[in-house]
Amino acid sequence: MRFLSTRTGRGICALASICVSLSPAIGQTATARIVTAANAFLSTLDEKQRQTVEFAFGDEKQRQRWSNLPTGFVPRGGISLKEMNATQRAAALALVSSALSQRGFEKVRQIMESDEVNKTSEGNNPIFGKDLYYISMLGKPSEKDPWMLQFGGHHLALNVTIVGEQGVLTPTLTGAQPALYTIGGKTVRPLGQESDKAIALLNALDEKQRKQAILSYRLADLVLGPGQDGKTIQPEGLKASGMNERQRAMLVDLISEWAGIIHESAAAARMAEIQAGLDETWFAWSGPTSVAPGKNITAYYRIQGPKLVIEYAPQRLGGDPSMHIHTMYRDPTNDYGRRLIAK
Amino acid sequence: MSNRLPAAAAILLSLGAPASAHRLDEYLQATIVSVEKDRVQAFMRLIPGVAVSSIVIPSIDTNGDGIVSDSERQSYAERVLGDLSLSIDGHPLKPRLVSVDCTGIGEMKEGLGEIRIEFSADLPRGHGSRRLIFENRHQSRIAAYLVNCLMPRDKTIQIAAQNRNENQSYYQLDYRQAGGRSDPLSSLGTIALLLSAGLVLLLRLRARRGRSRAASRQSNHAGMPDAPRERPVRRILGYLPPAWIRSTDR
Repeated sequence: MRFLSTRTGRGICALASICVSLSPAIGQTATARIVTAANAFLSTLDEKQRQTVEFAFGDEKQRQRWSNLPTGFVPRGGISLKEMNATQRAAALALVSSALSQRGFEKVRQIMESDEVNKTSEGNNPIFGKDLYYISMLGKPSEKDPWMLQFGGHHLALNVTIVGEQGVLTPTLTGAQPALYTIGGKTVRPLGQESDKAIALLNALDEKQRKQAILSYRLADLVLGPGQDGKTIQPEGLKASGMNERQRAMLVDLISEWAGIIHESAAAARMAEIQAGLDETWFAWSGPTSVAPGKNITAYYRIQGPKLVIEYAPQRLGGDPSMHIHTMYRDPTNDYGRRLIAK
Repeated sequence: MSNRLPAAAAILLSLGAPASAHRLDEYLQATIVSVEKDRVQAFMRLIPGVAVSSIVIPSIDTNGDGIVSDSERQSYAERVLGDLSLSIDGHPLKPRLVSVDCTGIGEMKEGLGEIRIEFSADLPRGHGSRRLIFENRHQSRIAAYLVNCLMPRDKTIQIAAQNRNENQSYYQLDYRQAGGRSDPLSSLGTIALLLSAGLVLLLRLRARRGRSRAASRQSNHAGMPDAPRERPVRRILGYLPPAWIRSTDR
């Protein structure tokens, strides 16, 4: 008599692997940790699922198959959490978590939860929900060769390229609707820091600086959103070289809301790169310059440096723009890690 | 435009569609302009909101068969170009359609459709400070315009300023074009050189005339040189670069 079925056995093995990948491995590099988590996840999949998840590293179509829109409108590649069993789902989330910082993963979790709230408020509309997020990989998980992990769905597109010990998170889209909700008696704003830190920076500027930073025209949407890869627009607004040290520190702190989504060592390298180009980094604002307490701003803003584009764009879609936000994070010189791969 | 929102919501409810995911009562028209030495290129993305798709679709699918044919796509793009104005340094330019692409009518009805138009225009030769003006009047009652400029790849082109009106239907791009004959600095230098050369020539002529007068006076009044006439020439030549003096004051 068999004590364990093959399926149960596989599940236990997968869980053991997940535990190993989640435990802080002393001496293990970030990439090694992600690779372990990726292989652990792959080992939970059957052959058909594996084929759905794995893409060739050179698959440009899959690389660019991401959007802010619900997955029913713009189908993603890979496999959704909905199509996974509990073990596979845990392994998938463990993999995503291994590639991100703690606060980055928390942000992702809150964005997914926001879509679940959206689903409920839309009468259980099946196009929304926290299980409609897809995971895919381009190339084989490796500590040496470049490969890519994608995770996304409505209001989320994480594109993590791993090249040896280096990790690149651009391009990445985050968004939320509702961008403020209550769960378990706790108010959650998935992109609240992006809003609060930006208005704090604007308020820290003097009149002359504000005149430079505030654009005189309305911006209805992201300029460099999905499908706009490889474009660098002329920067506008206030240059960080014209800011004092406190304002520059606030700007860096604001940027870290995106740059800090990825795991700590990659985030540190990225922040160093952004700091190096800080003098040439611009901050531009369009829209209302005040915010209701505890709410999100309704203004658009953009941060643009030599290796950085961040856009924060409240959407009028669905009513209150403070409740529906799209943001974009890019490195026009290194989206999808192209600069690293070319080396 | 805000008074269109309740109507948009009503339309969405009647369609049984979620109000949150779609563009609603605006026709987003995002243009990215790229300036080169001898031409301007532009990429337009036109995204009709679900509540305004009933206004936009009939102007694309003109025979109403639910399919956008090549000729319908082409003629819609030409109509869009007809609603644009483009000028350089005050001279109107004629935009030339490069390509047009669009999603199906079904997607447009859901507020998920997109029309992509690429056009270009040749720029007449110019140099120094240049001003490109782009105006978009296409479906202005429902439009939400966005206009931006790509950072020029050509290092001889430097963007000086971008100005727009509040709704971005009007966009003014000021830039400086340098390099070769059109370099403003080299043009100024050329003018300065020509002026200097003219001045030196004039002075030389005057000096020569002076010398010949002195010579004729000398022949009339032996032993009385006409030195003062030479002095102003020398004083002015003293401010000129030595190379100039060498080459002109032989």
